[in-house]
Amino acid sequence: MSEPAEFLALALVKAAPLIFAALAGVLCERAGILNIALEGQLAAGAFVAVAAAAATGNALAGLAAGVLAGAVLGGVLGFAATRFGVDQIVAGTGLNLLAIGGAAFGLVVIFGQPGASPSVASLGAPGAHLLIATALACAFALHLVLYHTPWGLRVRACGENPRAVASAGLDPKSIRLLATTVGGALAGLGGVYLSLGELNLYSDGMSAGRGFIALAAVIFGRWTPLGATGAALAFGALSALQFILQRSGVPSELMQALPYLAALAALAGIAGRARAPRADGVPYVE
Amino acid sequence: MRTAAIGGVVLLALAASAMELAGANPLLGFYALLRGALGGPHQIAETLVQTTSLLFPSLAVALAFRAGFFNIGAEGQLVIGGLLAGLLGARLHLPGIAGLPLVLSAGALGGALWGGIAGALRARFGGNEVVATLMLNVIAALLANYLVVGPLHSPGAVGPETAELAPSLWLPTIAPGTRLTVAMPLGLLVAAGVALLLSHTVFGYELRASGANPQAARRAGIDQQWIALAAMLLSGGIAGLGGATIVTGVLHRFNVALSPGYGFIAIAVALVGELDPLRVVFAAFAFGILQSGSLTMQALAHVPKDVVTVIEGLIILALSARRFAPSAGRLRADERTG
Repeated sequence: MSEPAEFLALALVKAAPLIFAALAGVLCERAGILNIALEGQLAAGAFVAVAAAAATGNALAGLAAGVLAGAVLGGVLGFAATRFGVDQIVAGTGLNLLAIGGAAFGLVVIFGQPGASPSVASLGAPGAHLLIATALACAFALHLVLYHTPWGLRVRACGENPRAVASAGLDPKSIRLLATTVGGALAGLGGVYLSLGELNLYSDGMSAGRGFIALAAVIFGRWTPLGATGAALAFGALSALQFILQRSGVPSELMQALPYLAALAALAGIAGRARAPRADGVPYVE
Repeated sequence: MRTAAIGGVVLLALAASAMELAGANPLLGFYALLRGALGGPHQIAETLVQTTSLLFPSLAVALAFRAGFFNIGAEGQLVIGGLLAGLLGARLHLPGIAGLPLVLSAGALGGALWGGIAGALRARFGGNEVVATLMLNVIAALLANYLVVGPLHSPGAVGPETAELAPSLWLPTIAPGTRLTVAMPLGLLVAAGVALLLSHTVFGYELRASGANPQAARRAGIDQQWIALAAMLLSGGIAGLGGATIVTGVLHRFNVALSPGYGFIAIAVALVGELDPLRVVFAAFAFGILQSGSLTMQALAHVPKDVVTVIEGLIILALSARRFAPSAGRLRADERTG
């Protein structure tokens, strides 16, 4: 393969989990729930997928279980936020600790060893490629859903003015709950890609801050599915570049820090005025 | 009170079932945890060391939350504080009386700077401090790794750490033969200082007023941009000072792994302490027990120590239903509609 093609391929490989998590972030935030637990949802998806694949010997069962784990965590956040009006930031922080600690705990309990699981049945290269294609397809699908379906309109309305949604006779809480659950499933799929797509095991710290990079991609992509996907692709290209520049003297930490620095710059309005959904992170109280 | 008791029982039950799940005897698990944390003078000293390391970032979180800022970045502020303290300390050959205040101030300054970035973004651009502090946490870790391994590598250091500080720059111990140093009384002093600041000064009143009702505070003439910057500078400074006490008191050098997530556990500590600086001290002790007993629990009762992280996550999740100051998002939304 030629070098540019190799670079593009590597960029896509690195971008895929970011795209899943960033789309999850877009969906949640457009519905008005600031989901900082993306990191935990990635970790949970990755770990549960490996555990289920080990138990059944079937990578597809692992995939389903990983998606389910993400959906459950997303649902817990959505349920807590809509039914109990909890603080989403605090709850998200708790969920991150719970998921990452839970995965570390689960490694010891299920596999009897800390640090990393043994190898399990993976999705293999075709599976990984299919997941990358799925990530890109999800970006377009979410774009269509958000901007061209009645449910998408309701989701966006929940993120801007949930009271207006309620006045229209709809239940903003149910809409938000569904959005966070679907979002969690997407992030879980990103986790599955990490453990069963790129590799065939789970190791501690596998999510490696991707959930936070995804939050950065959401801001950089101005809370739109295609924008966030573009940002995730750019961040994926950055990590691909890191491999190429490994011996050139450019510090790898700088390359790794670039997405986070870009997010800070976006917060400072450098890429034009980025506006969060008006009711992003605001509990809806009747 | 009753809710707290019910919550405590539920947590104990959850912890016990997690231990059962791990194939351990829960009673033995709890016993080992307590024995590891409080079983003797050395264990108690080590628990107090953990308490102290948790206390600084917890006070930082409590102060920021009281002012209405979700400082999720105590971890990064602590790391930067420790980094500056370690980089300076490893190169400094001064008697402790001159050097220690210098090294500790460097840590506080570093943390304040790191928190201040988020404060300035919020003050100047209305940028969400939650996202900013989350990003700054990761950047802090990367920066620390780059500097100590790369350009500021100190000769003689192996791994991602600085060289050892000269013994004159070690915080004096208050219990011979343990790692318990004057960092603990210093932390208690900071707790008292934060309590006094919040309840007995005009600035503290302005912080609390801004946290309780930002619009009313603004209409009352309290400069909200200044409050955002000041709260985050102060909060970051306390966390940074904490990082510097770990460097000078516990490790005697900066290591990139100096914090096992103190800045995140601090959120749980601050919430359990109801954001009240004096109650935060007791909460820090309770979490200090968890931190310091978890290794013994793993060794004696074969319960993976990560069960402690799970419990901490559950506590934060359970306490997220409490009413806090309005979040940044709500403030911005209100500003637009008002």
